[in-house]
Amino acid sequence: MGTCITHARGLHRQRESLPRVRTDADVTFVQAMLLAVLQGVSELFPVSSLGHTVLLPALLRWNVDEGSESFLAFVVVLHLGTALALILFYRHDWIALTRAFFATIVRGRIGDDPAERTVWLLVAATIPVGILGVLLESSVKKLFASPIPVSLFLLANGFIMLLGEWLRRRQKAHEAQPYRKLPQLTAKDGVLVGFAQSLALLPGISRSGSAIVAGLLRDLHHEDAARYSFLLATPVIVAASLLEIPKLLAPDAHVVLVQAFVGGLVAAVTAYASVAFLTRWFRHNDLAPFAWYCVVAGAISFVLFATKVIA
Amino acid sequence: MKPLALILAAVFVVVAVLYFVGHGPLAAPGVHVKHGIVSIILALLCLVWYRFQSANTTGSLR
Repeated sequence: MGTCITHARGLHRQRESLPRVRTDADVTFVQAMLLAVLQGVSELFPVSSLGHTVLLPALLRWNVDEGSESFLAFVVVLHLGTALALILFYRHDWIALTRAFFATIVRGRIGDDPAERTVWLLVAATIPVGILGVLLESSVKKLFASPIPVSLFLLANGFIMLLGEWLRRRQKAHEAQPYRKLPQLTAKDGVLVGFAQSLALLPGISRSGSAIVAGLLRDLHHEDAARYSFLLATPVIVAASLLEIPKLLAPDAHVVLVQAFVGGLVAAVTAYASVAFLTRWFRHNDLAPFAWYCVVAGAISFVLFATKVIA
Repeated sequence: MKPLALILAAVFVVVAVLYFVGHGPLAAPGVHVKHGIVSIILALLCLVWYRFQSANTTGSLR
């Protein structure tokens, strides 16, 4: 999520207080494309984009200054690309939701139209993550944005999804009720999903994963829980990217202009393909494969970093 | 609840102004503009809440 941008800035602040052991290095074209693919995929798959942004360069020992102005500008463009993909994929929904948003305000009440209820459920879930994100993000990143904590949070992310699936199966075994549809959620459900996705402030915890788990526990089908999560992602990514647009005007930003432009396109295409794949996946499948991936990747990363095999 | 919505809206507007001029309650370098924008959004949402309460009590997210 847009969390990567502030993560990078947090790292920069941390490094300012430490003796410099490496010179600034701009991202190479190959690294830029790999990061763009990583961003497009991991932003929407429930595997934590921020966690991967911390772990991958460390595992590959890239000499990239993640706090430099040029790198921040590059990350902003990647997020804009991802946001563009989400808006394009859900363009019909967003047109209906935008109309519903203004119609309810003009009318002064929320009607029975599913779009009217859905748009306010999005607002309800965005408020907690917006407030907590702005208040806590940089301090949380300062504390935890290093490989060992990230590995542990990635491991925890896997267990959260496995636990969510287990609770969901148990819940369904005791109740014969059909799944609820997204517009049938209440404002309280929306706020709970919002708080759940705020867990993604911890690098290694996936925003979409925690939001989907919360949706499942509020009795949504996987497909609806994933759709809610992806719709929720759009305003957060757009807002985070727009707030960081001044980074593109920074003096050093032009250094990575080509990488940023191509990377943005690559991130957009990859994100579009990811959301198309995941919406199909969740029609008949669950979170288990992503959960096991996080458990294995988190455990391996933890062992590698904790034993200093990779310093 | 209607007066509460208006009071909260006013408080958030004041907080936003304080952030924009650099004296917000949690102001730190580089983040006061973001906090100000979030405060403005919260003020607008409080006004929407007021509007919902003024027009009709039915048709909420219950």
